[in-house]
Amino acid sequence: MSEEILLDVRHLTHVFPLTKKIAVKAVDDVSFQLRRGEIFGLVGESGSGKSTAARCVMNIYRPYGGSILYKGIDTCDPRAFRANRRMLQTTRQLIFQDSNSSLNQRMTVCDIISEPLKLQKITPPRGSLRAEAEFQMYYVGLDAGCLDKYPAELSGGQRQRVAIARALAMEPELLVADEPVASLDVSIQAQIVNLFKHLQQEHGFSFLFIAHDLAMVEFLCDRVGVMYRGRLVETAPTAELFAHPRHPYTQALLSAIPVPDPRRERNRRLLEFHGESLSLAGALAEVSPQHFVLQEEA
Amino acid sequence: MSELLEVKNLSVSFFTPAGEVQAVRDVSFSLRAGEVLAVVGESGCGKSVLCKSIMKLLPQTSKIKSGSITVNGADITAYRERDMHKLRGKLFSMVFQDPMTALNPTMSIGAQIGEAVRVHQPRLSGPALRERVAELMTLVGIQNPKERMALYPYNFSGGMRQRSVMAIALAGNPSILFADEPTTALDVTVQAQILDLLRDLQQRLGTATVFVTHDLGVVARVADRVAVMYAGKIVETGTAEEIFYDPRHPYTWGLLRALPALNRGRDSLYTIPGMPPSLLHPPAGDAFACRNAYALAIDYEEEPPMFPITDTHYAATWLLDKRAPAIEPPVGGGGYV
Amino acid sequence: MKRNRMVYYGEKILVFILSVFLLSLAVFYVSRLAPGDPLVSYYGDRVEKMSPQERAWAEDRLGLNAPIHVQYARWLRDAFQGDFGISYKYKMDVVEVISGRIGNTLLLGGTGFLLIFALSLLLGVLCAWYEDRPLDRIVCKIGTAVSCIPEFWLALVFILLFAVSLGWLPSSGAYSVGKSGDWGDRLHHLILPLSIVVINHLWYYAYMVRNRILEEVRADYVLLAKSKGLTKKRIMFRHCLRSAIPSYLSIMAVSVPHVLGGTYIVEAVFSYPGLGTLSYESARYKDYNLLMLLCILSGVLVILCSMAAQIINERIDPRVRGQEETSEVTKL
Repeated sequence: MSEEILLDVRHLTHVFPLTKKIAVKAVDDVSFQLRRGEIFGLVGESGSGKSTAARCVMNIYRPYGGSILYKGIDTCDPRAFRANRRMLQTTRQLIFQDSNSSLNQRMTVCDIISEPLKLQKITPPRGSLRAEAEFQMYYVGLDAGCLDKYPAELSGGQRQRVAIARALAMEPELLVADEPVASLDVSIQAQIVNLFKHLQQEHGFSFLFIAHDLAMVEFLCDRVGVMYRGRLVETAPTAELFAHPRHPYTQALLSAIPVPDPRRERNRRLLEFHGESLSLAGALAEVSPQHFVLQEEA
Repeated sequence: MSELLEVKNLSVSFFTPAGEVQAVRDVSFSLRAGEVLAVVGESGCGKSVLCKSIMKLLPQTSKIKSGSITVNGADITAYRERDMHKLRGKLFSMVFQDPMTALNPTMSIGAQIGEAVRVHQPRLSGPALRERVAELMTLVGIQNPKERMALYPYNFSGGMRQRSVMAIALAGNPSILFADEPTTALDVTVQAQILDLLRDLQQRLGTATVFVTHDLGVVARVADRVAVMYAGKIVETGTAEEIFYDPRHPYTWGLLRALPALNRGRDSLYTIPGMPPSLLHPPAGDAFACRNAYALAIDYEEEPPMFPITDTHYAATWLLDKRAPAIEPPVGGGGYV
Repeated sequence: MKRNRMVYYGEKILVFILSVFLLSLAVFYVSRLAPGDPLVSYYGDRVEKMSPQERAWAEDRLGLNAPIHVQYARWLRDAFQGDFGISYKYKMDVVEVISGRIGNTLLLGGTGFLLIFALSLLLGVLCAWYEDRPLDRIVCKIGTAVSCIPEFWLALVFILLFAVSLGWLPSSGAYSVGKSGDWGDRLHHLILPLSIVVINHLWYYAYMVRNRILEEVRADYVLLAKSKGLTKKRIMFRHCLRSAIPSYLSIMAVSVPHVLGGTYIVEAVFSYPGLGTLSYESARYKDYNLLMLLCILSGVLVILCSMAAQIINERIDPRVRGQEETSEVTKL
């Protein structure tokens, strides 16, 4: 991991209009940075704004306020975006939660993986597009027999591997994965997370990993940010966060991780957490090195 | 405790254009009054089909091929739709995985719970019905029930919808509750609350619960007994303590070792190699053999029987045969974290 | 809340007026682009013998010599005062021409529509109930076959069979000569055209009801309804039908013009004196004023129906109805 900051999200705010008068603040003044080669986990419950933040990063939504700097380029600025369109589109890749609907049902696996290369008119480094697809498949642990299959013929874990292969075919520098394991069985989740870790070590890409539960994050990520109701409430290096959670919501999230030990688990009382009364005003303050918690300004 | 539900040698198949899919193969288990049995396995192992086949909620392409289902001493295997709807709700009822789709979006929550109440108490109406609905909503932890009755499912969060589904399931005071992955679609903090609610209801009402999940991690909190399913079969069954502290089947070892809580500080998470077999053509011998690092030669030829370990603990693996080599289990013994 | 409603309906009415205006503009211009001589419909064969001066005078009299936009402005001004001009062919006020015929079309189209609505619902529910059993299969097969038969051909076959060979029913007209006030006679004349309209459209809608209900039957909430112990009948009527009906109602509302359009063809075959035959004639004889009013009437019908569909949907479906309140409620 280098000190170079690849992605700098500053005061990101995004609002969804519900009706003409009412709007929902999905992301509210969120700032975080992602260094080159770092795995950053963004954790929060559904509706906390983590997916919206990721989509803003990937230019799927146009942020309502704030700025997103990728390699120093403000991606929210349409001019800057157009000037660097090709670089932005090839070096950033996104993986979705539901590979069932995010992969085109009428394309074969081979076509799905090689399509981005075709679109960007990149000469496949391994000769043909098919050879390239085959290589990527092998790389994510699928055999070449799947190349001519359709997504519907694959299992959930296999489909997610295809989605990963498709993203990696572009040799991205930033990979954003929006709950890539949430719809999989625990045992398959472990396989995919292992794969992510392995691939990240090989390629060295920066990785924004979004999840709703902390269990896998602990294993995969270097740093974690916890989001709650649109706010980033705590961010810290993984070990530090798990050892000394400061924010009540982080503590509740940690307490909710099940322990595979019946006697202990039955007697363990979960932390009561009342989100309604929680104040989300204030700003992130550094409580120990690299460890920031949302606090009301004194 | 008496046996409330007894399933013997149940086999269920789906008849698809591609052929016969043997979703449940020769499964036997029993459920005593007031206990929580967790059925654990990967998706496609037949755990959900097992529950739905007992309640006869499967589509018409499926068929119970053999075996018997006995509830309260009555054999319901051959019951038809007409007889079944009298049992559903009263004797057993079910909670589903996705509370977003399990509720009718065009009816208010109160109306949907009320409907379930009236199935069992047809004379109840007006204020008395409202009272009962409010009581059920309070039971599952929905505050201000009287105001929320008129709301529609889209007004509710995922956790609240799952609570509503549970209120519906409990309306007829069922003796058995099937909970089919009730927490999978929910947030982690909500998942913990629903698990506690399940446990709490079971203790207060004495409802026997069959809790189906793919996550062995959540089982420890709620289950008295655990049945591990693989490729349509129960491969190991025992009390929660026996399964977590003294697992015997290599598949159970694999499931336990794959839990992130047991991989703290390691470089990579443990995973079970390979994939579950297709139930279209289940392999001969032990279906788990090809993914099993401890597989013996006999595993590829002959299916292991259920070996008893204690009165309550059984496992189907040849490793328990007296001729098998002694193997140090890679997990178990308690004191994980 | 009340204010919101007012604004909401205000917007709807504005959209309505704008669409009618655009429609009239389009019809006005397009009808004049088509080749042919409108004078023929007014003066008949005499046009051929007219001198250029006479022609110019005649065009001036009918207001056809001015540029199109001036003609349109004139038409619009008169229309606002309730004067839609005279029909060239019938040489009377177009409103009078139409009001003499509209009753017949409404009788045929209206009863046809109601019958289609009721029968398709019945048939759809029956098919869904007996899904994939013989009844369902037979009905679906017959439906596919019949809806492929062109209306006019079926009409001719019916005329041949019931009017010519068997002589049970009259083959044309809305009533026998001199019996225009006799309802029994009218009904007698109505049977054949009505059955053609119904038979031709019924299957499509019945099939739609069937599929909508089956879609609901496969929904997860039906499993929950089953597991709480409801009977199949109750699930079908209280849950599935209830969920299926809003979308069906709105589809039916949109399809009013579709069914009515079908009656136009049937009217032509049976020489049934309704708006269908009238519009056909007016287009053929360049009877501009009549054509305009007929087009606008059909247009208004289409727009009104789709608005009705939307409103029905909002009334019945709580999700649509409640959208504006959602955010407050979830905070509860």
